[in-house]
Amino acid sequence: MKRMILSGVSVLAMTCAASAAELGAVDEPIKLAINEWTGQHISTHIGGEMLKAAGYKVEYVTAGYMNMYQAMADGDLHAALEIWSSNVSEDYAKQVEAGGVVELGDLELDAKEGIAYPAHVAEMCPGLPAWEALKDCAANFASAETLPMGRLVDYPADWGTPGADRMTGLELPFKAVPAGSEGALIAELRASTEKKSPLLITFWQPHWAMSAYDVQFVDLPAGEAACFEDASWGPNPNAVNDCDFSPTRIFKGAWAGMEEKWPAAFEILSNYTLDVSVQQPLMGAIDVDGGSVEEVVAAWMSENEGVWKPVVDAALN
Amino acid sequence: MSLVADLPITGRMKRGTLAGLVVLAVGVLCLLLEKSVPWLSVWPEAWTIPATQWIGDGLGWVLNGIKPVMRFVSWLLEFPMNGANWLLKSIPPLILIGMVTALGWILGGWRMAALGFLGLLFVLGSGYWLESMSTLALVFVSVPLALTMGLGIGILAYEYPSVKGVVNATLDVMQTVPTFAYLTPLLLLFGFGPVVGLIASAIYAAPPMARNVLLGLERVEAEVKEAAVMSGGTRRQQLFLIELPAATTQIMVGINQCLMAALSMVIIAAVIGGFNDIGWEVLLTMRKAQFGQAFLAGLVIVVFAVVIDRMSRALAVEHKARDWRPAAGLFAVSVVAWLVTLGSLPAPAEFNWFGGVAERVDQSVGDFTAANGARLDAVKNGAMFYGLLPLRIGLDQAVLPFTWGFAWTPAMSLWFFAVAAALSVAVFLTGREALAITIACLAIVIETGVANLPWPFLLTAVGALAWVASGWKLTRLCVILLALILISGLWERAMLSLYLSGAAVVACGVLGGLLGLWAAVSVWAWRVLEPVCDMLQTIPLFVFLIPVLMFFQIGEFSAFLAIIAYAIVPMIRYTRHGLVTTPPDLIEAATASGATGWQMMREVRLPYAMPTILLGLNQTILYAFAMLVIAALIGTTGLGQSIFLALGQADVGLGIAAGAAMAILALVADRLVQGFASQQRAALGL
Repeated sequence: MKRMILSGVSVLAMTCAASAAELGAVDEPIKLAINEWTGQHISTHIGGEMLKAAGYKVEYVTAGYMNMYQAMADGDLHAALEIWSSNVSEDYAKQVEAGGVVELGDLELDAKEGIAYPAHVAEMCPGLPAWEALKDCAANFASAETLPMGRLVDYPADWGTPGADRMTGLELPFKAVPAGSEGALIAELRASTEKKSPLLITFWQPHWAMSAYDVQFVDLPAGEAACFEDASWGPNPNAVNDCDFSPTRIFKGAWAGMEEKWPAAFEILSNYTLDVSVQQPLMGAIDVDGGSVEEVVAAWMSENEGVWKPVVDAALN
Repeated sequence: MSLVADLPITGRMKRGTLAGLVVLAVGVLCLLLEKSVPWLSVWPEAWTIPATQWIGDGLGWVLNGIKPVMRFVSWLLEFPMNGANWLLKSIPPLILIGMVTALGWILGGWRMAALGFLGLLFVLGSGYWLESMSTLALVFVSVPLALTMGLGIGILAYEYPSVKGVVNATLDVMQTVPTFAYLTPLLLLFGFGPVVGLIASAIYAAPPMARNVLLGLERVEAEVKEAAVMSGGTRRQQLFLIELPAATTQIMVGINQCLMAALSMVIIAAVIGGFNDIGWEVLLTMRKAQFGQAFLAGLVIVVFAVVIDRMSRALAVEHKARDWRPAAGLFAVSVVAWLVTLGSLPAPAEFNWFGGVAERVDQSVGDFTAANGARLDAVKNGAMFYGLLPLRIGLDQAVLPFTWGFAWTPAMSLWFFAVAAALSVAVFLTGREALAITIACLAIVIETGVANLPWPFLLTAVGALAWVASGWKLTRLCVILLALILISGLWERAMLSLYLSGAAVVACGVLGGLLGLWAAVSVWAWRVLEPVCDMLQTIPLFVFLIPVLMFFQIGEFSAFLAIIAYAIVPMIRYTRHGLVTTPPDLIEAATASGATGWQMMREVRLPYAMPTILLGLNQTILYAFAMLVIAALIGTTGLGQSIFLALGQADVGLGIAAGAAMAILALVADRLVQGFASQQRAALGL
């Protein structure tokens, strides 16, 4: 595990607009939202430990990802450090507009979303990972609900329907079935791996299941902005969305009153970024090797002071 | 319509036939006109009103108005909640185990003491002690709140009979509108954190208490009430000193049901977040599809439910004063144990006695899937092709070369209807008119599919059923409520929900009825089934989803199975209860007249148990609709999905409207069954 962490030492990008800020109300705890997935726990704990190093009290509060923004606008939660543009609740935009929540900039976690399959599926559809292969082997993916089309397991309906949009855009004979929850997506991956059965699924990384189930992405035409606006772009001249997913932005959000109450903390969190090559091995250390978030993050923090300390120092001095 | 009303009605049979013929006529008419009049099968968008928009706007205005008051309430509730949390977490685990064991002794002797001891030891060993204490703290505050609310509502309905109808409808709404539907407004009103979960759980847990208080007060004997009047107290004295104590037994049932309901809702607190409770663990493991671990965390909740349930039941049964010395002894032992192990015992979070078992359970689910993949797929495809799909979209769309091996042609439709009509006429001629009409109507449903049923046919059918079951008043209520779904534009989704829960209810009715029958004739069967029923009722429903998903993947069949797993319980319980409580004199009379075992069952016990069984069916219906939201987590469409969509879009109006539509469907189904049940009771002279 130690080796894994060492190999993770790399870029915590430091875009430090250096200006000394006041600490503010150090006696009151800053409440950071802990959502439902491990990667977020890591991002949040690293950010939280940085705040502690600066002299703040930090409280990690569990919060439902979909419905936490009202609490943030009310000042009951102070920051959320890993918000995905692909599945953020529209409540976020509403609260930002109302002025209760502000954005803290990108986390710069390099995420990728795509149409994916567990490695064993490549044998069932010769030509993968090229997307054109899917045209001819859709029947292999058919199920009772989708016959005669192939079945694509899409994101839960409340995250949007990116998989279905791709199938329409590329005119692939697949019917998208919404998964309903992340647990359902994982269960699909697991069952497919156990049964060696065909599966096409909308998925993303960083995610622990990418390596656990050896998930591969289908190669789609690059997701350029033009693809989403101009129908003539891409392989299908009659439709938009005939390309890969638009890059997902992962950003941070905070209670609007934070800048005034904890100026330095606001600056630290604004400048805090995390690289996917750091998060991914830590996720493995927790989900696969069974470590606790606190221990794993503490070990990483103590070995990589050079990566995160400058962000804290820049805000304080 | 007035024509129908003016006809002389002689007896129920006649009434049923008449209603059936009207429904059939509408159905045939719809089928004939379907092609030329498209709005018969699909309600045009132009005719809908923007109900979700109005609800959203209206609510936003109201919510902001009462927000300060509610925030104050939530601030007040935080004190007892934090207090209980602090207290439970500061008592060392061993001492708490000792206290519960001692309490168990006082309540029910050694058996209860052993139950309390083993139960809490399990919780400690699972490593979830601290999380469990958070959950318990929540239950400790939400239950008294729910009890007070329930008591107040029950007394109100009893004292002012004119509000009883409204109160009953309110209780139904509290029980059937899923919490997810009003989660967003709830968060707006009460802020963030466990207090919101506490309030949600109190809303859900109060109705059983209210119903039992009302029932108990209504059943207080007239002599008792007269005696209270004679003794000359004020109305308040009569109520609190005489009538409420006289209704204690029934009220204790209410308290017990209230506890169970509150515990089953703790998962909602986790969905909101704000404190680290056992539900959060369930959510995290569910997200990773780790069945063994989710099951272990879920079992902790089941253990609490069973311990609290059995102890509160013991409290309700008898009050034999027990020697307190063994209890004191038990407590003293725990203190000694604590002192001896002080410093050497690991922290509560470090216990992991069952981690290996959980992993093995998880592994065996995977192995089973791997070994039986083809067979599981065959089961699923069979059920989809020959059962669920035809029911949803009708034979005319479900029969395809890929599924049944041939394509359905219009000629086949004609043949199908011709055979059904012939059968129907044949049955009609034997004098069983109701059955004949039912056959004809079912033929229409199966050919067209529930999701594609013309709405006038469905409205007429429900209206007619309501008329037969109870009368015009019920017809009016049902038709107006369903029409609300129609004009708010949720009809299509509601029909998908109706089809899924309908199929599950039918399966539960048959399967649960048979299991209940088995449990009634065999003591051993019930010994096995009872703990299973307890577990299915209190474990967070999410936990079931993982193995079902592993075996059958995302889709309707998985949802169908998950709904059955939860909704079958009341059917089993009530069927058994009805069958085993046949009055002894009835059985003696039947024995005297020489009835054999099965004759007794069919001629005496079954008819007598019918009202109870129908009540079970009614609970099964409510449970099946409640489960729809959870089923949406494995990818069903319909109203459940709308509720999650509304959560994602922060669309308060859509959430409430979809929740209300769900409540309407459940309410209509419930009132119909109740109507028939009270007819049956009247026929039996009960």
